[in-house]
Amino acid sequence: MSVELSTPGQVLRATGVSAGYDGRAIVQEIDVEATPGKVVSVVGPNGSGKSTLLKALVGVVPVLGGTVSVGGTEITNLPPERIAKLGVGYVPQIDDVFPPLSVKENLEIGGYLLARHDVAPRIEAVLEFFPRLKTMMTRKAGKLSGGERKMLAMGRVLMLSPSVLVLDEPTANLAPLVATQLLEEYIRGFADHGSTVLLVEQRAKAALRISDWTCVLSGGRVVLSGAPRDLENNPVFVESFLGGGAARH
Amino acid sequence: MSVFLSSLGFGLISAAVLAIATVGFTLQFAVTNVLNLAYGSVMINSAFVTYYLNVHAHLNAWVAMVGGIATGAVASYLLNRFVFTPFQRRNLLPITIVIVALGVDLCGTFGLQAIVGGSYFSYRQSLGRELHFWGMYFSTLQLTIIGICLVVMGLIHWLLKHTRLGKAMRATSANPSLARNSGVRTGHVISMTWLISGALCGLAGTVFAMNTGVFEATSAQLYIVLMLAAMFLGGPGEAYGAMLGALTIGVATELSAGFFNPQYKEVIAFVVLLAMLTFRPYGLFGSEKTI
Repeated sequence: MSVELSTPGQVLRATGVSAGYDGRAIVQEIDVEATPGKVVSVVGPNGSGKSTLLKALVGVVPVLGGTVSVGGTEITNLPPERIAKLGVGYVPQIDDVFPPLSVKENLEIGGYLLARHDVAPRIEAVLEFFPRLKTMMTRKAGKLSGGERKMLAMGRVLMLSPSVLVLDEPTANLAPLVATQLLEEYIRGFADHGSTVLLVEQRAKAALRISDWTCVLSGGRVVLSGAPRDLENNPVFVESFLGGGAARH
Repeated sequence: MSVFLSSLGFGLISAAVLAIATVGFTLQFAVTNVLNLAYGSVMINSAFVTYYLNVHAHLNAWVAMVGGIATGAVASYLLNRFVFTPFQRRNLLPITIVIVALGVDLCGTFGLQAIVGGSYFSYRQSLGRELHFWGMYFSTLQLTIIGICLVVMGLIHWLLKHTRLGKAMRATSANPSLARNSGVRTGHVISMTWLISGALCGLAGTVFAMNTGVFEATSAQLYIVLMLAAMFLGGPGEAYGAMLGALTIGVATELSAGFFNPQYKEVIAFVVLLAMLTFRPYGLFGSEKTI
């Protein structure tokens, strides 16, 4: 990663966070901390509340209890646009681009908070990182393939040089090769260059490969957490999430 | 042939007025998610503000029109702030907002009638010279209205495609949650949309009244049918679709008036609306709610 797309990471910390819709908590009393230079992944079965947790951290879902902070600044229940301004970039699992807008316009919206004269150079920097997007700048985002679309979604977030990246199942619906490249080359790369990465991932094995710390969510609560190597040696985790002994390899 | 050409001429003028109205109407729907059926009443109230500035304050009609535009912008902004937004915050069904808008429309129209009475009014304004083009007849006033429409459509295109606000409006329309996560203050964008679309509403009301020559408090009540038809023809929420929809509906209704009966104008528009809803509910251009 030759282009400096993100700024030095900040600590993203959730303490005792409960969050949900209409006053009903989907996730309860979650403690999670993502630090600069590290990838922290959240894994768990469908419906365990992984996406709700991320949405609560970035202001999309109301936090009903506990606190969220970034770089020591409390961001609990701040509007999403203010959280974005504080350097937190969020890529949702679905609806991650603006389909009727062109690729260039998507990137411009990603740089909405930048000074006007900084937008074009930043787009150039993002295109250096995702050169494939260069050839499709005028194409509508809704016409892109799954992989291209995910690159655009990441590029949109990188426009603001985030210090914290919050990624919700970035490899969903991607071909295995593209998914591996995205995780190992790009996402791990962000952390290696000092960014803070909090990742929700359905592919537990792949997530463990690039993570420094992993939390396991089930029924809206953290039921296990630890370094990937420790989890891989935990029979309960292996049985539940890695498909038995196959994961040991 | 002469009936066809003269009707086509009338159609172009009607289309110009309808395009200004429909683009504002569809912008409101796309960005704010409100199908504002009170649009017609804001139009006619704005037209009356222009009337009072023109006739009672003795301002030139074109200068008075600025008052009408400002009225449309401010009234629409306030309507959103104090009526639609509080209902939207309660997460009610979209149909509830439509019913609220319908109620506001009735209050706005008949409230105005209670003030101005049932009389007919007209601006103090000359129609200007009559000009002939290829069998079509236009007054200078009508050509000015077409000119205003072209300028406004150009400005809307420039706004949506080349300005930060316009792109934020399109992003908010496509995915408000993602727009906020990108740093867009969607509340501000929505307020600006109400002001801009309201200004178009005020302008549409004034040129509508100028074009009809005489008008009363209830003159714009059925106009919403034409706007809905134009909007659904182009695709709900599609600003460019609204322009084409307005051209088609404007010309179609005037041609039908020329060959059949002018009283069936709204019926023709309604038939087009029903046909679009039946066979292509996203309109000619739309595939989803976008601008």
